[in-house]
Amino acid sequence: MNVLLCSINTLKGLYDISGVEVGQHLYWKIGGFQVHAQVLITSWVVIAILLGSSIIAVRNPQTIPTDGQNFFEYVLEFIRDVSRTQIGEEYGPWVPFIGTMFLFIFVSNWSGALLPWKIIQLPHGELAAPTNDINTTVALALLTSVAYFYAGLTKKGLGYFGKYIQPTPILLPINILEDFTKPLSLSFRLFGNILADELVVVVLVSLVPLVVPIPVMFLGLFTSGIQALIFATLAAAYIGESMEGHH
Amino acid sequence: MANMIMASSKPLSPPSLSSTTPSTSTSTSRPRITLLQVSLPKIPKISKTRLVSLSSSALKSLPLAAAAAASLALAPPSLAEEIEKAALFDFNLTLPIIMAEFLFLMVALDKVYFTPLGNFMDGRDAAIKEKLSGVKDTSEEVKQLEEQAAAVMRAARAEISAALNKMKKETQVEVEQKLAEGRKKVDAELQEALAVLEKQKEETIKSLDSQIAALSQDIVNKVLPL
Repeated sequence: MNVLLCSINTLKGLYDISGVEVGQHLYWKIGGFQVHAQVLITSWVVIAILLGSSIIAVRNPQTIPTDGQNFFEYVLEFIRDVSRTQIGEEYGPWVPFIGTMFLFIFVSNWSGALLPWKIIQLPHGELAAPTNDINTTVALALLTSVAYFYAGLTKKGLGYFGKYIQPTPILLPINILEDFTKPLSLSFRLFGNILADELVVVVLVSLVPLVVPIPVMFLGLFTSGIQALIFATLAAAYIGESMEGHH
Repeated sequence: MANMIMASSKPLSPPSLSSTTPSTSTSTSRPRITLLQVSLPKIPKISKTRLVSLSSSALKSLPLAAAAAASLALAPPSLAEEIEKAALFDFNLTLPIIMAEFLFLMVALDKVYFTPLGNFMDGRDAAIKEKLSGVKDTSEEVKQLEEQAAAVMRAARAEISAALNKMKKETQVEVEQKLAEGRKKVDAELQEALAVLEKQKEETIKSLDSQIAALSQDIVNKVLPL
């Protein structure tokens, strides 16, 4: 009897520790609407990290850059390069958007992999990367959609909508469909990758707690960086596409 | 499965096993509308303890069958379902809040990072380019200086060659003068010597003339025997 009970309890304990908590959230209520508190908390941390580090590194720029400033200059050069290659010569005003997109997603993803969120116990759900939540990715994807519509409309006025019948009017439905598939693919790619990555790590840890998950964790770091780059590059590509002239 | 995931934007009331006491669910606290209420649902703990007590009581009464049932009931999937249905695609106010946070972050990063550092880097690039073009200007100066130096060298060379020529001419004249002097001297000596020789020749001829008569008398005397 006791042995069986014990084994059941240990099983349950293991299950609780391994903590495969998919789609469980800590709910707060703001004005009658529910929000996912764990996403907000981690996103605040990410924003604090980004703002704090950039303030510290850039507050007193030197002509010959020191370590922190050098790193931030490298990042800025990288973002500018991505923007320029995708958008073209008029990339200047879009650097903050693309850069913030890249940095926010990148730091979010890596925070999910590197920061020991699990130390902080929540009454329900658990802290993880903000990009682990569909709300975040859809928000970013919708902002990208708004951004490329804004870019096209400010550049070409209402003539922007001429692109829907561009090669031939037959492609009108497909062109309209593209406006829906773009944010959909953007958000689901990011969401799926990050969620799957964290799930793989959690499952592997629950199965083999030592050594074996380490390569997967490094793979996760790699994937996280790549996903951030892909999201930013695609956002820049969409913006550039809507701004480029039609021949 | 998809239906289960998509459908629930709210925690469900616990099914099957714990349906006897549904009071612990968060759904009871939902209707209240407060500005910011941090709900701390304690489902897992309570349900776990209840489950344990339930299973232990069941184990006491019906040994084998109950144990199997309990282990089945405690198996992970049913437990997860019991805690809460997974709400993967659970859209709510988080989405616009994240949007606002992102826009705020964009503006703040632009103010703090992108614009100041970008301007700083552009300014530095411009300064470096200016310095480089300045270096190009000095290279022109260097060229001018080099030309000047070449001119000075040419002038000096011309001067030196002129001086050399002059000296050559002077020495040549001198040498020729000396040569001419020497020649004159030699000529004079030659003339003198020639004159002396001529004189001696005449003297000897004269002396020979005076002896010719005697010698011819001698010869005649010897040849013609008288």
